[in-house]
Amino acid sequence: MDKLAKRLREDADRIDASISPELDERINASLRAVTPQRPAEKQNSARSWTFWLASSLTGAAAAIVLIAVLNLRDTPVETAPAVAENALPDIVEVPVFDLHAEAAVLTSPLSQELEALQSDLKKAEEKLREDIGL
Amino acid sequence: MSNELQLIEKAKAGSVKAFTELVESYRPRLFRYLVTRCNNHADAEDALQDALINAYKYLHTYNPQWRFSTWLYRIAIRNLCRNSDENITELDEPGDADNDPLDHVIAASERQNLWSSARRLLNDEVYTAMWLRYAEDMSIRDIASALDRSVSWTKVNLMRGRNTLDTELAQSKSEAYG
Repeated sequence: MDKLAKRLREDADRIDASISPELDERINASLRAVTPQRPAEKQNSARSWTFWLASSLTGAAAAIVLIAVLNLRDTPVETAPAVAENALPDIVEVPVFDLHAEAAVLTSPLSQELEALQSDLKKAEEKLREDIGL
Repeated sequence: MSNELQLIEKAKAGSVKAFTELVESYRPRLFRYLVTRCNNHADAEDALQDALINAYKYLHTYNPQWRFSTWLYRIAIRNLCRNSDENITELDEPGDADNDPLDHVIAASERQNLWSSARRLLNDEVYTAMWLRYAEDMSIRDIASALDRSVSWTKVNLMRGRNTLDTELAQSKSEAYG
Protein backbone atom coordinates (compact mmCIF):
# COMPACT_ATOMS: atom_id res chain seq x y z
CA MET A 1 0.00 0.00 0.00
CA ASP A 2 1.52 3.34 -1.00
CA LYS A 3 1.59 6.42 1.15
CA LEU A 4 -1.46 8.13 -0.35
CA ALA A 5 -3.58 4.97 -0.16
CA LYS A 6 -2.56 4.46 3.46
CA ARG A 7 -3.42 8.04 4.32
CA LEU A 8 -6.82 7.78 2.60
CA ARG A 9 -7.59 4.58 4.48
CA GLU A 10 -6.64 6.10 7.81
CA ASP A 11 -8.62 9.25 7.13
CA ALA A 12 -11.68 7.23 6.14
CA ASP A 13 -11.46 5.33 9.44
CA ARG A 14 -11.29 8.65 11.31
CA ILE A 15 -14.66 9.76 10.00
CA ASP A 16 -17.22 9.29 12.73
CA ALA A 17 -20.42 7.92 11.27
CA SER A 18 -22.03 5.77 13.91
CA ILE A 19 -25.63 4.76 13.41
CA SER A 20 -27.81 5.92 16.26
CA PRO A 21 -30.33 3.51 17.85
CA GLU A 22 -33.11 5.84 16.70
CA LEU A 23 -31.99 5.55 13.07
CA ASP A 24 -31.64 1.81 13.49
CA GLU A 25 -35.19 1.55 14.78
CA ARG A 26 -36.49 3.85 12.06
CA ILE A 27 -34.90 1.74 9.32
CA ASN A 28 -36.26 -1.49 10.82
CA ALA A 29 -39.74 -0.03 11.04
CA SER A 30 -39.54 1.07 7.39
CA LEU A 31 -38.35 -2.37 6.32
CA ARG A 32 -41.23 -4.04 8.12
CA ALA A 33 -43.64 -1.81 6.18
CA VAL A 34 -42.17 -2.86 2.82
CA THR A 35 -42.79 -6.10 0.96
CA PRO A 36 -40.06 -7.35 -1.37
CA GLN A 37 -41.14 -7.35 -4.99
CA ARG A 38 -41.39 -10.58 -6.92
CA PRO A 39 -39.65 -11.13 -10.25
CA ALA A 40 -41.61 -9.93 -13.27
CA GLU A 41 -42.26 -13.40 -14.72
CA LYS A 42 -43.77 -14.56 -11.46
CA GLN A 43 -46.08 -11.56 -11.49
CA ASN A 44 -47.30 -12.51 -14.96
CA SER A 45 -47.85 -16.14 -14.01
CA ALA A 46 -49.79 -14.99 -10.97
CA ARG A 47 -52.52 -13.84 -13.33
CA SER A 48 -54.70 -16.91 -13.58
CA TRP A 49 -56.59 -18.12 -16.65
CA THR A 50 -59.78 -16.61 -15.23
CA PHE A 51 -58.24 -13.16 -15.64
CA TRP A 52 -57.68 -13.72 -19.36
CA LEU A 53 -61.10 -15.37 -19.78
CA ALA A 54 -62.82 -12.44 -18.09
CA SER A 55 -60.89 -9.97 -20.27
CA SER A 56 -61.84 -11.84 -23.47
CA LEU A 57 -65.51 -12.08 -22.53
CA THR A 58 -65.65 -8.40 -21.65
CA GLY A 59 -64.11 -7.47 -25.00
CA ALA A 60 -66.47 -9.73 -26.96
CA ALA A 61 -69.52 -8.39 -25.11
CA ALA A 62 -68.48 -4.82 -25.82
CA ALA A 63 -68.06 -5.61 -29.55
CA ILE A 64 -71.52 -7.28 -29.75
CA VAL A 65 -73.21 -4.34 -28.04
CA LEU A 66 -71.50 -1.89 -30.40
CA ILE A 67 -72.58 -3.83 -33.50
CA ALA A 68 -76.15 -4.13 -32.23
CA VAL A 69 -76.39 -0.44 -31.46
CA LEU A 70 -75.10 0.50 -34.91
CA ASN A 71 -77.55 -1.84 -36.68
CA LEU A 72 -80.59 -0.81 -34.67
CA ARG A 73 -80.16 2.88 -35.19
CA ASP A 74 -83.11 4.44 -37.13
CA THR A 75 -81.30 7.41 -38.37
CA PRO A 76 -80.88 7.25 -42.14
CA VAL A 77 -77.50 6.98 -43.51
CA GLU A 78 -76.37 10.30 -44.64
CA THR A 79 -76.22 10.54 -48.39
CA ALA A 80 -73.89 12.63 -50.36
CA PRO A 81 -75.22 16.14 -50.84
CA ALA A 82 -76.89 16.72 -54.19
CA VAL A 83 -75.05 18.78 -56.69
CA ALA A 84 -76.53 22.22 -56.88
CA GLU A 85 -78.10 23.20 -60.13
CA ASN A 86 -76.27 25.72 -62.20
CA ALA A 87 -73.30 25.10 -60.03
CA LEU A 88 -71.05 25.86 -62.92
CA PRO A 89 -71.05 29.41 -64.21
CA ASP A 90 -72.24 30.06 -67.75
CA ILE A 91 -69.54 29.44 -70.26
CA VAL A 92 -68.57 32.60 -71.96
CA GLU A 93 -68.73 32.32 -75.73
CA VAL A 94 -65.27 32.32 -77.20
CA PRO A 95 -64.97 34.62 -80.20
CA VAL A 96 -63.99 32.90 -83.47
CA PHE A 97 -61.01 34.43 -85.10
CA ASP A 98 -60.88 34.69 -88.91
CA LEU A 99 -57.67 32.91 -89.90
CA HIS A 100 -56.18 33.26 -93.42
CA ALA A 101 -53.71 30.65 -94.62
CA GLU A 102 -51.53 31.21 -97.68
CA ALA A 103 -49.31 28.68 -99.45
CA ALA A 104 -45.65 29.32 -99.15
CA VAL A 105 -43.87 30.26 -102.36
CA LEU A 106 -40.84 28.03 -102.74
CA THR A 107 -37.72 29.42 -104.21
CA SER A 108 -36.51 27.99 -107.47
CA PRO A 109 -33.69 25.71 -106.26
CA LEU A 110 -35.88 24.16 -103.55
CA SER A 111 -38.71 23.43 -106.02
CA GLN A 112 -36.26 21.79 -108.37
CA GLU A 113 -34.87 19.68 -105.58
CA LEU A 114 -38.41 18.62 -104.63
CA GLU A 115 -39.18 17.63 -108.23
CA ALA A 116 -35.96 15.62 -108.38
CA LEU A 117 -36.83 13.83 -105.15
CA GLN A 118 -40.35 13.08 -106.34
CA SER A 119 -38.93 11.73 -109.63
CA ASP A 120 -36.49 9.47 -107.73
CA LEU A 121 -39.27 8.26 -105.50
CA LYS A 122 -41.43 7.42 -108.51
CA LYS A 123 -38.62 5.53 -110.20
CA ALA A 124 -37.91 3.53 -107.05
CA GLU A 125 -41.58 2.69 -106.74
CA GLU A 126 -41.77 1.47 -110.38
CA LYS A 127 -38.66 -0.65 -109.92
CA LEU A 128 -40.06 -2.18 -106.80
CA ARG A 129 -43.32 -3.03 -108.59
CA GLU A 130 -41.34 -4.70 -111.37
CA ASP A 131 -39.31 -6.73 -108.87
CA ILE A 132 -42.39 -7.89 -107.09
CA GLY A 133 -44.07 -8.71 -110.40
CA LEU A 134 -47.07 -6.49 -110.19
CA MET B 1 -24.74 -22.26 -0.47
CA SER B 2 -22.95 -19.55 1.50
CA ASN B 3 -24.50 -17.93 4.55
CA GLU B 4 -24.95 -14.67 2.62
CA LEU B 5 -26.88 -16.37 -0.17
CA GLN B 6 -29.06 -18.16 2.37
CA LEU B 7 -29.87 -14.84 4.01
CA ILE B 8 -30.65 -13.34 0.60
CA GLU B 9 -33.08 -16.16 -0.17
CA LYS B 10 -34.80 -15.73 3.19
CA ALA B 11 -34.97 -11.95 2.72
CA LYS B 12 -36.46 -12.43 -0.74
CA ALA B 13 -39.18 -14.50 0.89
CA GLY B 14 -39.98 -11.52 3.13
CA SER B 15 -37.83 -12.01 6.21
CA VAL B 16 -36.84 -8.60 7.58
CA LYS B 17 -34.67 -10.30 10.19
CA ALA B 18 -32.63 -12.07 7.51
CA PHE B 19 -32.22 -8.83 5.57
CA THR B 20 -31.14 -6.92 8.68
CA GLU B 21 -28.57 -9.61 9.39
CA LEU B 22 -27.45 -9.52 5.77
CA VAL B 23 -26.77 -5.77 5.71
CA GLU B 24 -25.49 -5.55 9.29
CA SER B 25 -21.82 -5.51 8.33
CA TYR B 26 -22.32 -3.17 5.36
CA ARG B 27 -24.45 -0.53 7.06
CA PRO B 28 -21.74 1.36 8.99
CA ARG B 29 -19.43 1.50 5.97
CA LEU B 30 -22.19 2.63 3.66
CA PHE B 31 -23.35 5.23 6.15
CA ARG B 32 -19.82 6.62 6.47
CA TYR B 33 -19.68 7.07 2.71
CA LEU B 34 -23.12 8.72 2.68
CA VAL B 35 -22.11 11.08 5.47
CA THR B 36 -19.24 12.33 3.33
CA ARG B 37 -21.47 12.70 0.27
CA CYS B 38 -24.56 14.34 1.75
CA ASN B 39 -24.98 17.95 2.79
CA ASN B 40 -25.74 17.08 6.39
CA HIS B 41 -26.15 14.19 8.81
CA ALA B 42 -29.92 14.07 8.47
CA ASP B 43 -29.66 13.74 4.67
CA ALA B 44 -27.17 10.90 5.12
CA GLU B 45 -29.59 9.10 7.46
CA ASP B 46 -32.39 9.49 4.91
CA ALA B 47 -30.09 8.28 2.13
CA LEU B 48 -29.13 5.20 4.15
CA GLN B 49 -32.77 4.43 4.88
CA ASP B 50 -33.73 4.84 1.19
CA ALA B 51 -30.86 2.66 0.04
CA LEU B 52 -31.71 -0.15 2.43
CA ILE B 53 -35.43 -0.03 1.67
CA ASN B 54 -34.76 -0.11 -2.09
CA ALA B 55 -32.30 -2.96 -1.62
CA TYR B 56 -34.90 -4.94 0.31
CA LYS B 57 -37.65 -4.11 -2.14
CA TYR B 58 -35.67 -5.02 -5.24
CA LEU B 59 -33.62 -7.86 -3.80
CA HIS B 60 -34.87 -10.17 -6.56
CA THR B 61 -32.79 -8.13 -9.06
CA TYR B 62 -29.54 -8.89 -7.23
CA ASN B 63 -27.16 -10.97 -9.33
CA PRO B 64 -24.93 -13.19 -7.14
CA GLN B 65 -22.04 -12.86 -9.62
CA TRP B 66 -21.41 -9.45 -8.02
CA ARG B 67 -20.48 -8.82 -4.42
CA PHE B 68 -23.45 -7.79 -2.34
CA SER B 69 -21.62 -4.68 -1.15
CA THR B 70 -21.12 -3.57 -4.78
CA TRP B 71 -24.82 -3.93 -5.46
CA LEU B 72 -25.72 -2.09 -2.26
CA TYR B 73 -23.38 0.79 -3.11
CA ARG B 74 -24.82 0.93 -6.61
CA ILE B 75 -28.32 1.44 -5.21
CA ALA B 76 -27.09 4.11 -2.78
CA ILE B 77 -25.18 5.96 -5.52
CA ARG B 78 -28.20 5.93 -7.84
CA ASN B 79 -30.39 7.32 -5.07
CA LEU B 80 -27.87 10.09 -4.44
CA CYS B 81 -27.70 10.94 -8.14
CA ARG B 82 -31.50 11.09 -8.34
CA ASN B 83 -31.72 13.32 -5.30
CA SER B 84 -28.95 15.62 -6.53
CA ASP B 85 -30.76 15.96 -9.88
CA GLU B 86 -33.92 16.92 -8.05
CA ASN B 87 -32.12 19.48 -5.89
CA ILE B 88 -30.19 20.83 -8.92
CA THR B 89 -27.06 21.43 -6.92
CA GLU B 90 -23.85 22.08 -8.81
CA LEU B 91 -21.77 19.42 -7.14
CA ASP B 92 -19.14 19.36 -9.86
CA GLU B 93 -17.85 22.70 -8.75
CA PRO B 94 -15.45 22.84 -5.85
CA GLY B 95 -17.31 23.15 -2.59
CA ASP B 96 -17.19 25.97 -0.11
CA ALA B 97 -14.40 25.25 2.32
CA ASP B 98 -16.23 27.04 5.13
CA ASN B 99 -19.33 24.92 4.70
CA ASP B 100 -17.74 21.53 4.24
CA PRO B 101 -20.15 18.78 5.44
CA LEU B 102 -17.23 16.64 6.47
CA ASP B 103 -16.27 19.21 9.09
CA HIS B 104 -19.21 17.99 11.14
CA VAL B 105 -17.86 14.48 11.41
CA ILE B 106 -14.13 15.16 11.60
CA ALA B 107 -12.71 16.37 14.87
CA ALA B 108 -11.40 19.92 14.49
CA SER B 109 -8.32 19.21 16.55
CA GLU B 110 -7.03 16.56 14.20
CA ARG B 111 -5.02 17.24 11.05
CA GLN B 112 -7.04 17.92 7.94
CA ASN B 113 -8.80 14.86 6.60
CA LEU B 114 -7.77 14.11 3.04
CA TRP B 115 -11.33 13.07 2.19
CA SER B 116 -12.42 16.60 2.95
CA SER B 117 -9.98 17.84 0.30
CA ALA B 118 -11.14 15.09 -2.04
CA ARG B 119 -14.75 16.17 -1.63
CA ARG B 120 -13.75 19.74 -2.45
CA LEU B 121 -11.51 18.94 -5.40
CA LEU B 122 -13.07 15.94 -7.11
CA ASN B 123 -16.43 15.56 -8.76
CA ASP B 124 -18.98 13.11 -7.34
CA GLU B 125 -18.10 10.16 -9.51
CA VAL B 126 -14.35 10.41 -9.10
CA TYR B 127 -14.78 10.95 -5.37
CA THR B 128 -16.96 7.84 -5.14
CA ALA B 129 -14.47 5.82 -7.19
CA MET B 130 -11.67 6.94 -4.88
CA TRP B 131 -13.73 6.10 -1.80
CA LEU B 132 -14.64 2.63 -3.03
CA ARG B 133 -11.02 1.96 -3.92
CA TYR B 134 -9.20 3.33 -0.90
CA ALA B 135 -11.78 3.21 1.88
CA GLU B 136 -13.57 0.03 0.82
CA ASP B 137 -10.76 -1.84 -0.95
CA MET B 138 -13.02 -2.64 -3.85
CA SER B 139 -11.63 -4.04 -7.09
CA ILE B 140 -11.59 -1.87 -10.22
CA ARG B 141 -14.20 -4.15 -11.78
CA ASP B 142 -16.54 -3.79 -8.80
CA ILE B 143 -16.10 -0.02 -8.77
CA ALA B 144 -16.90 0.15 -12.48
CA SER B 145 -20.03 -1.90 -11.84
CA ALA B 146 -21.11 0.23 -8.88
CA LEU B 147 -20.68 3.41 -10.91
CA ASP B 148 -22.12 1.89 -14.09
CA ARG B 149 -18.92 2.84 -15.92
CA SER B 150 -16.30 1.01 -17.94
CA VAL B 151 -13.19 -0.46 -16.35
CA SER B 152 -10.96 1.84 -18.41
CA TRP B 153 -12.97 4.92 -17.33
CA THR B 154 -12.56 3.83 -13.72
CA LYS B 155 -8.81 3.33 -14.07
CA VAL B 156 -8.28 6.69 -15.75
CA ASN B 157 -10.36 8.60 -13.22
CA LEU B 158 -8.78 6.87 -10.24
CA MET B 159 -5.41 7.97 -11.60
CA ARG B 160 -6.68 11.54 -12.06
CA GLY B 161 -8.08 11.56 -8.54
CA ARG B 162 -4.81 10.29 -7.14
CA ASN B 163 -2.85 12.95 -9.02
CA THR B 164 -5.15 15.68 -7.76
CA LEU B 165 -4.83 14.52 -4.15
CA ASP B 166 -1.07 14.04 -4.48
CA THR B 167 -0.75 17.64 -5.65
CA GLU B 168 -2.98 18.84 -2.80
CA LEU B 169 -0.95 16.86 -0.29
CA ALA B 170 2.32 18.25 -1.61
CA GLN B 171 0.95 21.82 -1.48
CA SER B 172 -0.32 21.46 2.07
CA LYS B 173 3.06 20.08 3.15
CA SER B 174 4.98 22.93 1.54
CA GLU B 175 2.62 25.45 3.21
CA ALA B 176 3.07 23.73 6.58
CA TYR B 177 6.84 23.86 6.34
CA GLY B 178 6.76 27.41 5.04
